[in-house]
Amino acid sequence: MKAVQLVAGWALVGIPLAFGIYQTLTKVAALFG
Amino acid sequence: MSWLDRDRTIAPPGFNRWLIPPAALAVHLCIGQAYATSVYKTALVAHFDASLVQIGVIFSIAIVMLGLSAAVLGTWVDTNGPRKAMFVAALFWSGGFLVGSLGIFTDQLWLVYVGYGFIGGIGLGIGYISPVSTLIKWFPDRPGLATGMAIMGFGGGALIASPVSTALLRFYDPNSGAANWVANGDSVGKLFLTLAVIYFAYMMFGAFTIKVPAAGWVPDGFDPSRVRSQALVTKNHVSAKNAIRTRQFWLVWVVLFCNVTAGIGILEQAAPMIQDFFRQNDGNSLVSATVAGGFVGLLSLANMGGRFIWSATSDKTGRKNIYMVYLGVGTLLYLLLALFGPSTTALYVILAFVIISFYGGGFATAPAYLRDLFGTFQVGAIHGRLLTAWSAAGIAGPLIVNSFLDAQGAPGELTAAAYQPALLTMVGLLIIGFVANLFVRPVHSDYHEPERSLVGATTGEARA
Repeated sequence: MKAVQLVAGWALVGIPLAFGIYQTLTKVAALFG
Repeated sequence: MSWLDRDRTIAPPGFNRWLIPPAALAVHLCIGQAYATSVYKTALVAHFDASLVQIGVIFSIAIVMLGLSAAVLGTWVDTNGPRKAMFVAALFWSGGFLVGSLGIFTDQLWLVYVGYGFIGGIGLGIGYISPVSTLIKWFPDRPGLATGMAIMGFGGGALIASPVSTALLRFYDPNSGAANWVANGDSVGKLFLTLAVIYFAYMMFGAFTIKVPAAGWVPDGFDPSRVRSQALVTKNHVSAKNAIRTRQFWLVWVVLFCNVTAGIGILEQAAPMIQDFFRQNDGNSLVSATVAGGFVGLLSLANMGGRFIWSATSDKTGRKNIYMVYLGVGTLLYLLLALFGPSTTALYVILAFVIISFYGGGFATAPAYLRDLFGTFQVGAIHGRLLTAWSAAGIAGPLIVNSFLDAQGAPGELTAAAYQPALLTMVGLLIIGFVANLFVRPVHSDYHEPERSLVGATTGEARA
């Protein structure tokens, strides 16, 4: 149960953060394109 | 409302402390939206038929309120604990969006000032400092890592809010397919309502996940005597009231002010600056608007990553040493940028990337530096007072850069040479910060709290 809580907690903040980083990286790609 | 009290948030035995960083991140990712206001800035200019400056005031009020509320309410946050603080921060932050949306729907710009700027700004201040003290108590072995993770969220919040807000504006505006589309006011109002609901829910996750450690709790295998043996790391405690009477507080204030002012100088002007640095004799820049947008994105990543990486590194190097790097190496990098930045875009991008990572690192390492100097007793409140340096830098940084640039020519016609006076001024500021940091010494025992006033107040549930 504790492990599930931990995974859920990190997923709740990690997934949006990963999405934001991915979206930013697609913009950054223009710098090297 | 006793379920918000500090006493109700004491962690049971066996509680996993790694649940605390996501709780803190949940709050910081939400309030980090403050750095994504450019998404709807043009839309608000069109909706209110206002100038860019008039709309920019919304953000300025919010940042000033962040510093003021963190300074004034810091002690309240330390006394009442993280859950109540996060709950109140959520009420203010979401309430700010609600009042702001009312201002947009009724065409009253002053209501947006009051809503997003004033009310939301208070939410920013309380939210920013709410998890700091608790994180430091859960991670006495790695305070830099812990606060770096949370404060990284403030940088990351804009990365999330920016694409999500754009998508929502497109969803709410039926004309979003038009060429040169600018979102209408109605869609921005609906965006504010949506963000109010989403952010409130997320911050509630943070508020109801966060817990304070029980009295006397220490992590497995942690030996407090090792921490105490390090130079500058005190085993004593200083109250917030006394901390601002010490020379150390004001030296760190100057350090943060100089570091933030220098960073904001680049961040605020990032997109036009890279284009101006590579402007040809014919007036055209080698750097397109799209590439400049990519550069801004890269700096956002540097800002976010620097907060985590440098702050975590400070646990190994010591806080004073890492600020020597931010300010000393930062001075050299700024000098290189001013003198050799226009030679190649690669050099320019690398220098700016590292400089902005130091800017983020300066923010994230500050709470741990305060913990080292003043102990954990009221470190959240002391951190709140320190954030006035951010408010001051938020005014000084853009003022310095814009004043120099205004004197050099019109936007769109500037070249790299026009930036040299501003950049060299930043070099001077970083040197002042470096010297201030050199003078930081342990706090005199006259300012230490007597042991009897600290019973139960520095570990565990109290004052977390």
